[in-house]
Amino acid sequence: MQSVKPALQSTENDGRAFPLLSTIASEKWFIGAHIFVALAALSIGILLGPYQAFRRAPAFLLQIDLPVFSYYYQALTAHGVLNALVFTTFFIMGSSYFVVQRSLQRPLKSMQAAWVAFWLMTVGLLMAAFAIITGQASVLYTFYPPMQAEWTFYLGLALVIVGTWVGLADVFATYFDWRKEHPGQKVPLAVYAILCNFAMWFTASLGVAIEVLFMLLPMSLGLIDTTDVQVARILFWFFGHPLVYFWLIPAYVSWYTMMPKQLGVRLFSDTMGRVVFLMLMIFSIPIGVHHLYVDPGVSEAAKFMHALLTFVVAAPSLLTIFNLAATLERSGRKRGATGLLDWMWKQPWGNPVIVSQFGGMILFIFGGITGIMNASFNLNVALHNTTWVVGHFHTTVGGAVFMTYIGMLYWMLPMLRGRKLFWRWAATLQAYLWLGGMLIFGGSMGRAGLEGAIRRTDLAGQGAYISDAVAPWLNMSAFAGFLLLISAVLLYVVVIGTLFFSKEESENVAPLATEGPKDEYAPGIFEKWNLWVVVIIGSNIVMWLPVLLSAVDLVNGFWAVGNPGAAR
Amino acid sequence: MHIERYEKLWIYAFVIMLAVFVAALMAGAILFNVRVPGSAGLINPANLDETAFANPGIHDMGDGNYEVYMVARMWSFQPSEIVVPEGAHVTFYVTSADVTHGFIIEHHNANLEVLPGVIGVTNTTFNTPGTFKLQCHEYCGRGHQMMHIDIIVEETEVALAANEE
Ligand code: HEM
Ligand SMILES: [Cu+2]
Repeated sequence: MQSVKPALQSTENDGRAFPLLSTIASEKWFIGAHIFVALAALSIGILLGPYQAFRRAPAFLLQIDLPVFSYYYQALTAHGVLNALVFTTFFIMGSSYFVVQRSLQRPLKSMQAAWVAFWLMTVGLLMAAFAIITGQASVLYTFYPPMQAEWTFYLGLALVIVGTWVGLADVFATYFDWRKEHPGQKVPLAVYAILCNFAMWFTASLGVAIEVLFMLLPMSLGLIDTTDVQVARILFWFFGHPLVYFWLIPAYVSWYTMMPKQLGVRLFSDTMGRVVFLMLMIFSIPIGVHHLYVDPGVSEAAKFMHALLTFVVAAPSLLTIFNLAATLERSGRKRGATGLLDWMWKQPWGNPVIVSQFGGMILFIFGGITGIMNASFNLNVALHNTTWVVGHFHTTVGGAVFMTYIGMLYWMLPMLRGRKLFWRWAATLQAYLWLGGMLIFGGSMGRAGLEGAIRRTDLAGQGAYISDAVAPWLNMSAFAGFLLLISAVLLYVVVIGTLFFSKEESENVAPLATEGPKDEYAPGIFEKWNLWVVVIIGSNIVMWLPVLLSAVDLVNGFWAVGNPGAAR
Repeated sequence: MHIERYEKLWIYAFVIMLAVFVAALMAGAILFNVRVPGSAGLINPANLDETAFANPGIHDMGDGNYEVYMVARMWSFQPSEIVVPEGAHVTFYVTSADVTHGFIIEHHNANLEVLPGVIGVTNTTFNTPGTFKLQCHEYCGRGHQMMHIDIIVEETEVALAANEE
């Protein structure tokens, strides 16, 4: 180690392997700002969830007039964008900086760059939010053309993405500095996972960046009047599937590296953890066509190829089950379990940080199974765009990801604020209510979908159709929406309480770097980034080029089809 | 790389499981012909009048086979009702005249994204008499929820006679 950043030469370090909070420059405000924006966006997005569930239930059919959101699809756009795009992205950037700084024990290479990234994202968010709130962008969070939104919506989203690029470049720069100073040492697993996540995210976001900058933005500015809808959808899902892993990997980071520390045990296998993140980085992009199984302009062969590879991406999650179960067994044994399975119960079920993550894991079992079903090629024909899919992704992004992020929040917030979590019992109750609510919500939406209920539809709107078979299930989902609403309110009580009303000081402990047994080797193949860049580029050319070529209108060109009334 | 014994067994187990899943979906596709929809080509949404979509409707191809040419536009389908006899095997050709729409038939394996510029094709057999909704399942603007039509599957006389016996 040649040089140590001054900020880290803390005298308060008293032999611990990690620096104290105060020693990392402005962590409190910097990470806090990301979490603040994430929670602010979520506060609106999350309330729209129960509104939708109530409105779609025949027993309620509430014609509530919301302030600001004058009609269903505008609210649904806000729900998808604020929850799934904004809350996640800000939380991921903030928590990733937190993990990287603490694990590598150094501040980010450039604090200025990281703040620039934050403001780019925030300005972008405000532009997109402005367009949605004023009703000029009711295009849902997938914004398929040729339906158009106001240009501020697209430019705003583009700025959010560019902001993440600046932030992730900063993280990579920080890592490479660390790498130089620590030859032959492997990077902590948490940081490795975050690097994989960012590498994957950068690659994937090129797809949507091209779609937005060259197709949608020019169209909404009136520079071009037609665009190829099928190509736009392909570019979107080049991004869209890795997007869901972009959400998931930070949750895995918490399960793999924070939770063992919170439970007082060691992760079972550090190496297999690395295998998992490496696989996720490589395999989450060349499988995106499984979102396009019923698209008319993509060849059946391409759909089948992507279906096969989709089964490969199940492997890292299955590996995760083993690794985490083995880790939890250690935790259970430590708490007195002796039998074959009693370690499952001997866990700290009253600790909100842990319970929230366990809840996420339980929901992810359902999310994983339903995900494999969705991915099953021909089976998808029975499920695509039914409420089954809504059930699925509320157990994944609205379940596993959301609950784990909240678990992370309950852990990070006291450290950042310097005060203990406010009303711990309420936080625990919040987690159980969300788990129960989402189990009921997922189950009832799934069942309704099998009976033929469709998603993305204002079932209380004029002329809507609800069959008798789906009605009871939709009612049940509204009941779940009620539980989830209470849970959401509790979440904000705990957050605001911790920020402003908590009196007791919290201890500031965040050792993050996890290591395996000492003899495990190092950086080895895992950090051979040149190799992985080649693999990523190569596999995506092989898997995506045929898809694009099969869809694009070679005779009339990229812009030719799509817009009504456009002469060709 | 060192992998624990039980972890190895777990890996073998799930590789076999995933292989079985893949085999099942291939069997479905090849043996039972449960397929995902493909494309029947590109089309100019501005010139539908000069194509087979000029007169949306149902065509009897004989032997219980039917073809339906269907146009989706904000916020209706043409034809606005479809009547077929029990047992009819129907091939749907669907395209959009404006934005992206969807196509799904209750309790039948027929599911499509309906894009302007592309002709989607799917087929299904109507074995049970009754009324089934064909709905638009992709958000297409304010009136999206109004986009659904009835498919009426009538009992055939042969079947009626058989029932009476
Ligand atoms: C309070 C709890 C929640 C309830 C009751 C709820 C309810 C719903 C309902 C009923 C829909 C379907 C509407 C439709 O298809 O017409 C929906 C869509 C969606 N929800 Fe939630 N939700 C909740 C929380 C969340 C959270 C926390 C997330 C993500 C972090 C999320 C992400 C989504 C997404 C991405 C969609 C799809 C939007 C679209 O189709 O464009 N939801 N939600
Ligand atoms: Cu429609």
